[in-house]
Amino acid sequence: MPVSRVPRRFRQAAFLLAIALFAISSISLASAQSGQPAGITVEAHKMHDLWIFTLIVALVVFFGVEGAIVYALFRFRKKSDDLPPQTHGSTVVEIIWTTIPVVIVITLFTYAFIVLRDVENTADPQDLTVHVQGFQFQWGFTYDLNDLGTNTPDRNAKGQIVITGTPQDNPTLVIPVGEPVEFTLFSSDVIHSFYVRDFLYKLDVIPGRDNKFVVNPREIGTFHAQCAELCGLDHGIMRFTLKVVSRADFDKWVSEQKVTQPRAVQQAR
Amino acid sequence: MSSIAIPRPRTYERPVVLDWLTTVDHKKLGILYLYTTMFFFFVGGTLALVVRTQLAVADNSFVGHDLYNQIFTMHASAMLFLFIIPVWAGFGNYIVPLQIGAADMAFPRINALSFWLVPPAGLLMFSGFLFGGAADAGWTAYSPLAQRSGTGMDLWIIAVILLGISSTIGAANFLVTMFRMRAPGMTMFRMPIFCWTVLVTAVLQLLATPVLAAALSMLYIDRNFGGAFFDPNGGGNAVLWQNVFWFYSHPAVYIMILPGMGIVSEVLPVFSRKPLFGYKAFVFATMGIGGLGFGVWAHHMFTTGAVLKPWFGFMTFMIGVPTGVKIFNWLGTLWRGSITFETPMLFALGFLSMFLIGGINGTFSAAVPVDFALHDTYFVVAHIHYVLFGGSVFAVFAGFYYWFPKIWGRRLNERLGQLHFTLMFIGFNLAFFPMHLLGLEGMPRRIATYSDSFNWQTLNFISTIGAFMIAVSTLPFLVNVVMAFSRPKDQPNDPWEANTLEWWTTSPPPVHNFDDVPEVHSERPLFDYRHGSAASH
Repeated sequence: MPVSRVPRRFRQAAFLLAIALFAISSISLASAQSGQPAGITVEAHKMHDLWIFTLIVALVVFFGVEGAIVYALFRFRKKSDDLPPQTHGSTVVEIIWTTIPVVIVITLFTYAFIVLRDVENTADPQDLTVHVQGFQFQWGFTYDLNDLGTNTPDRNAKGQIVITGTPQDNPTLVIPVGEPVEFTLFSSDVIHSFYVRDFLYKLDVIPGRDNKFVVNPREIGTFHAQCAELCGLDHGIMRFTLKVVSRADFDKWVSEQKVTQPRAVQQAR
Repeated sequence: MSSIAIPRPRTYERPVVLDWLTTVDHKKLGILYLYTTMFFFFVGGTLALVVRTQLAVADNSFVGHDLYNQIFTMHASAMLFLFIIPVWAGFGNYIVPLQIGAADMAFPRINALSFWLVPPAGLLMFSGFLFGGAADAGWTAYSPLAQRSGTGMDLWIIAVILLGISSTIGAANFLVTMFRMRAPGMTMFRMPIFCWTVLVTAVLQLLATPVLAAALSMLYIDRNFGGAFFDPNGGGNAVLWQNVFWFYSHPAVYIMILPGMGIVSEVLPVFSRKPLFGYKAFVFATMGIGGLGFGVWAHHMFTTGAVLKPWFGFMTFMIGVPTGVKIFNWLGTLWRGSITFETPMLFALGFLSMFLIGGINGTFSAAVPVDFALHDTYFVVAHIHYVLFGGSVFAVFAGFYYWFPKIWGRRLNERLGQLHFTLMFIGFNLAFFPMHLLGLEGMPRRIATYSDSFNWQTLNFISTIGAFMIAVSTLPFLVNVVMAFSRPKDQPNDPWEANTLEWWTTSPPPVHNFDDVPEVHSERPLFDYRHGSAASH
C-alpha cells in the first residue's frame, strides 16, 4: 500500500484540479497568444478563428488524455506482487470513448466546412486582378490597366504594369486595402506555391492549371512572402514583399509605373 | 497442458559468412534486416544533422542550395524507405513466426529475396552522390520538378521500385504465414496484437505499393523515353503524379506506424501485468485505420485547388476516431495495472505521449481552411516527426529493448537504457516542438536558408540543439549493445513474464524455433500457462 497521510480521494481531487487549472490556463493562453498571426484579410480572420477553436479543442483533448496517462503512471505503479484485476475490456466504456471522438471530429468538420465555404470566394469582374507568374526562381506580377478594381480610371485602357523579380532583387507586390483582390496563378516550368503568411493562405502555382483566389485585405502594411512548394535550386530564396496600401497610394503607385503593351500571345503555357 | 511436437527442418553446417549470406532462416533474416535498417537510421540521422546545422543560423552557407536539396531528400528517403518500412519487416520476420508458434515463414526463400533487395536498393539510391548528385526533388518527387533532376533521380526511382517489390512480396509472405501457420488453438482473434498490425500493414502494402511502382515507372518513362504522363508541356498532368503518389504514400504512413502500435500494444500489457484493454476493438480500429487510410490521400493536396476538399477533410477527421480508440485502449490497459518502468516500457510510454501529440496536431490539417496556412510549412514537419519519430522510432526502440533478450539471449543494461530514453525524449521535443511555432510564423519546408529579418533564428537554433541531443542519445544505446554482446547468453526463456509464444522457447530460439508449443486458449498463452486460464478473467 502507498505510504501517505493524505487520503487518496484528496490526492485524486488535487491532481484533477491541477490538470483542470493547467488546461484552463493554456486555453486562455491559446486565445491570447495562439502562435499564429491573426492575418490581414477578412478571410484570414475567419480562418484564424477556426485555428483558435481547433487549438482549444486540441489542448483540452491533450491535457485530458495526457493527464490521465500521467495520473495512471503514478497511481497504478507496481506496489505488490499481486496480480492486478485482469480486465479485458468494457463494451460500455468502449462505446463511450468511440462516441466522444466522433462528436468532436464532426463538430470540427462542420465548423471547418462553414469557414471553407465562407473564404473561398469567386471574383467579381470589377475586382482588381493581379496575374502572378511563378518561375524558377522568382515571381512576376502583372496588372492590366483596364482591370485595376473599382476605381479603374479607364476600362478600355490598353497596357500592363509588369513587375518582375530577380534573385538579387525581390519584387514588391502592391495591392490596395479594403477591396477584393483576385490573384490568378500561372507557371510554365514547375510547381510553385504562392504563399503570403499573413493571408494565412497559399495556393499552388501549377503548370497547365489555372488557379485563382480572392482576398479582402483589411490592414495596411508591408509583409514577407515566399514560395512554399519545393521548386528546385533556389526555392529557399524565392521571396517577395507584399505592400498593402490605401487606395490613394495605390493609384499613385500605378501612375508611377512603366506601362508596357501586352504581347499578342501570352507566354507559352 | 498438452503440447504439440513440431517437425524439425534439416539443418546444414556451413561457414559463418556463407551461412549469413545464404540463410533462409527467418530469425537470421530478421537480424539482417535490423542491422541494415539501423545502419540506414544512422545514415539518415547524419543527414538530418547536416540539415539542422545548415538551418541553425540565418543566411548560413554550411552547404550549398544544390547539396541541401539532395541532403533533405535523401534524409527522408533513407528514413522512410530504408529504415522505418523495412525495420518493421525485420521485427515482423523475427517475431511473427515465433508469436504464432511456427517454425519459419511460409516462403523462406522469398523471404530471403525480400531482404536481399534492400541493401542493393539502398546503395543504388545513395550512389547518386557519385554520379552528379543524388535525388533532390524531395522524397515526394513532385513532377515536373522531378523530371528536371539529374541521374540521381533515375537511381532513386529504380531503388524505390526495388524496395516496393521487396515489401510487396514480403507482405504476401506475412499474410500466408499468418493465415496458414498458426499454432493449434490460435484462432485469428487469439493472434498476438503485433501480428494483427503486421497483417493489416501487409494488406496495405499489397494494395498500395503496386500503385507506387506503376507511378514510378511512368515517371521513369517521362524522364527517359519521352513520355509525358506528368508533364503539362507534353499534354500530361502535374497533379496526376500527386494523386497516384499519395494514393500510395498516405497508406504508407500507416504502413510506417501500425506495426509500431503493435509493439506498444505488446509492451504496455506486459509491464502493466494486464491484458490489452479491448483487444477486438483494437483489431477493428487497426482495420479501420487501414481502410480509411485509402480515402484520405488528397489531404496532402488541398492547396493544389484540384481536389474535393470537404470530402478529404471529412475522411481525415474520421481517421481520428479509430486512432483515438487505440489511445484509449492503451490508457485502459495502464488503468488499475501494476506498472513497472523497464526501458521497453519507457519507450512505449514515450510513444504514447508523443503519438498523442502527433495525432492531435494532425487534426489541424484536416480542417481545410487551417491547412491553407499550415501546409508545406514547418508545422507539418513537426507533425510528421511527432508521428514517425515520436511514434514509430520510439516504438522501434521499445521493440528493440523488449525483444533484445529473445533475439540475442542477453539483457541490455537498464541504466544506459534510461539514459538513452531520457536524452532522446528531451532532444526529440527540443528538436521538433519549436517547428510548430516556426510553421505558424510562416517558415516553409525545404528551404535551404532564411533571412535574419524573419525572426526564425532562435527557434531554429533550439531545434538544432535538440537534433544533436538526439544524436548524443544514441551513444548510450550503442555502448549498451556493444557491452551486452560481451556478456554471456544467460537470458531465460521469459525474462519479462510476458504473454506470447515467442517467450515459450529458448533465448535465442533454436533453428527450428520450438521443440513443442502449448495449445493456445487465449491471446495470452504464456499467461495462461503461468497462472492457469481461470486467472485470466
